[in-house]
Amino acid sequence: MPDLDDVPAGAPAVADPGSVGVVASRDFVHAAPFTFQSGQSLPGFTLRYETYGELNAARDNAILICHALSGDHHCAGRHATDDRKPGWWDNLIGPGKAVDTRRFFVICSNCLGGCVGSTGPSSVNPATGRPYGIAFPFVTIRDMVRAQKLLLDHLGVATLHAAIGGSMGGMQVLQWGIEYPGFVRRLLAMATTSREGAQAIAFNEVGRQAIMQDPAWNQGDYVREAGPRTGLAIARMMAHITYVSDASMDRKFGRRKKGTANGDAYTFDIQFEVESYLRHQGQSFINRFDANSYLYITRALDQFDLAHAYGSVETAFAPVQAETLVVGFTSDWLFPPEQNRAIVHALLRAGKRATYAELATDLGHDSFLLESEDLYALVRSFLEREAAVLVDFSI
Amino acid sequence: MPKLVEKRTVDMQIIGDWVEPRTRVLDLGCGRGTLLGYLAQTKEVAGIGVDLDFHRITACVQRGVTAYQGDMLAFMREFPDRFFDRVICSRTVQELDDPTAVILEALRVGRTLTVGFVNHGFWKNRLATLFRGRKLRNQVYTTEWFESRPANPVTIADFEHFCAAKGIRIARRAHLAGNWRSPRRLCPNLLAGYALYDLTR
Repeated sequence: MPDLDDVPAGAPAVADPGSVGVVASRDFVHAAPFTFQSGQSLPGFTLRYETYGELNAARDNAILICHALSGDHHCAGRHATDDRKPGWWDNLIGPGKAVDTRRFFVICSNCLGGCVGSTGPSSVNPATGRPYGIAFPFVTIRDMVRAQKLLLDHLGVATLHAAIGGSMGGMQVLQWGIEYPGFVRRLLAMATTSREGAQAIAFNEVGRQAIMQDPAWNQGDYVREAGPRTGLAIARMMAHITYVSDASMDRKFGRRKKGTANGDAYTFDIQFEVESYLRHQGQSFINRFDANSYLYITRALDQFDLAHAYGSVETAFAPVQAETLVVGFTSDWLFPPEQNRAIVHALLRAGKRATYAELATDLGHDSFLLESEDLYALVRSFLEREAAVLVDFSI
Repeated sequence: MPKLVEKRTVDMQIIGDWVEPRTRVLDLGCGRGTLLGYLAQTKEVAGIGVDLDFHRITACVQRGVTAYQGDMLAFMREFPDRFFDRVICSRTVQELDDPTAVILEALRVGRTLTVGFVNHGFWKNRLATLFRGRKLRNQVYTTEWFESRPANPVTIADFEHFCAAKGIRIARRAHLAGNWRSPRRLCPNLLAGYALYDLTR
């Protein structure tokens, strides 16, 4: 899940020929009723999105980027030349980069249920004039994908060259292949799973409890500025640990003491740098994320189980027409390599074209955001190779 | 054309002759996907390769060959009986940690298993060892012992003995001379440089 706070600050966009430069977000308003998988519905919704590059005449060069739990639609470039940090996947997306915006029309939207411009629990319910709170419909990965499809139709995209995403974004990518098989030609899923396992659900539940046990949560009824900030910060601190690894944390912080620590070991004030770092992660998260959205989106992750939803994973993948590439990372303990491998096993058993590659990194789950020439070369090969050898694997 | 590349081409051509068009093929130790790419073009097979190395998987992706990075035995265990029409083990069998397990598992998930290997019983190989008293090195085995993966010096006689002991049926064999081109039917263990087998249960 993209760690927006850790993206290294780079040079201003104007000086970087590999950057998409200064970009602006736009809003897509779907002004018709939308029924969620739960059966609940909304009179309409908004998705905030960004695009980079140009849609070609055949309208078939679009690539959809799907963000993770805490990510958003701003995945490349900068909103202003003096922005400290670019979008969360700026290292992958741009002119001449692995996802080459000179060639592809790249689209990324904030997911349905999110809190960065798209309709979610913090949006105002027109019926009450107050935020939906927990009256907002339950959202699933499939709902997010169906909303994205409406956006792509609105943008005039005829077919997707590829759908790409890591973590929750990877789940959306798989769902895309199942839900709109004729619409997407390549699926690139990283650090993900076809079934949220018990450990991942357990982590989500601890985060939700931290939020819901905060008195300021108030059954989800709060104004954004006065929400359960303590609970949300703790949820983020805990979740952040699951995105990295023992080795990467120890390399980054070790047992280093905070410079301001007074040397007295017998206090509960911040002593270690890692404590200070996690508190910073929590504090910066509460300024950009809504606690109810966190509840809804983690619930959507928990509900994701293709085998359960379709009878078996093979049945789920039966309609897939796209070629799939799944990338796992050795040190990812949130969605470990075995879960990524299992996706490819099931796709192959279902008679689909699927490739599995694994990168040896010690950066944990967030490895999919890694600056790695190996990863770039793989992604580029997958996206830019001319038409695949067109053979039906299911003979 | 360099001799090694030429030999590789012969190898590919024979396997290509044996492979039925439009079938499902698993290549164990697929490397950079050369063989599967060739089979996809000439026989329109639906292929999947298995290899351990990330860069070789990238090379497969580049040429449009689907591939799986990981252990071949663990991979095969994920598939039902006779899922693949053919499993290919081309110049891989000598480097396997547990050749028996891999061959038996390949015969479970595949209707046919094709095995190709350099015959260490070939007279030139025997003489080289006899006179040089060193690890075999030639166009195919170019490396010193300390810079290569452990490899079993398997011979035609060894391999056929193994098949007989395990009750594996040899459906087809090709024994090639030292040039890997002309067939060598007489005294293959002594006179053949390369051997190919189609095995079934």
